[in-house]
Amino acid sequence: MRVAEMHPLPGPEDPEAALAAVVALRRLAGRLESEAVGEAIAQGWTWAQVGEALGISAQAAHKKFASEVRARRG
Amino acid sequence: MGLVAAVRDMRTIKQLLTRAEAEARSDGQETPGPEHLLLAATALPDGTAARALERVGVDPGRLRTAIEAVHEDALASVGIEVEHGSGGAAALHGPATGAFRSTPQAQQVFQEAVALSKSTEPAGLRGAHVVAAAARLEYGTAARAFAVLGVDRGRLREAACAEAGVG
Repeated sequence: MRVAEMHPLPGPEDPEAALAAVVALRRLAGRLESEAVGEAIAQGWTWAQVGEALGISAQAAHKKFASEVRARRG
Repeated sequence: MGLVAAVRDMRTIKQLLTRAEAEARSDGQETPGPEHLLLAATALPDGTAARALERVGVDPGRLRTAIEAVHEDALASVGIEVEHGSGGAAALHGPATGAFRSTPQAQQVFQEAVALSKSTEPAGLRGAHVVAAAARLEYGTAARAFAVLGVDRGRLREAACAEAGVG
């Protein structure tokens, strides 16, 4: 993944393009979140620490990511 | 609809929704959207969804590439380049849990497809019903994928209805 510097965002005159960008960014953020949580747990972070870093409770972090992290470990 | 036809219809619906869920998860999404229903419809053994796309000059195999291109182009519009073919997402590895859930738009497409299937002779859900219903969506990933493919959604809906035998 590569991010260009100071790229202009889709303008308000084209809300459809801007909303499509929002959808694509959500997908990308979901992937980044899942991979980062997996890495944090692999490094020994607790669910409380993961939750704190993401601004959610430990229980919410566990509920959202635990099965995915387990599956990724194989 | 007789009992045998009703059981066959239930089997088709289960195949469609299970496949849509798998498509969503391989796309990194917990809940299927219309684009995942479309991909699932083209994989149904009746073959009508694929034939509906072919009627408007689209190779059904290009649908997946077009969906990825929608996301890649959208990310490029905000200055983010992702590896080609991923659309920026990565597959979920965990098992799907709980009852089937989908986006409101996927629910709308599914419900309309089922309604169309009831006005078909013989009755029963086929892939082309899903294509016809999805072609009505004006916005979102599925609509943008059709645009990437150069498909006129009105023509596609007509082709899908003809393929499905909607009266």
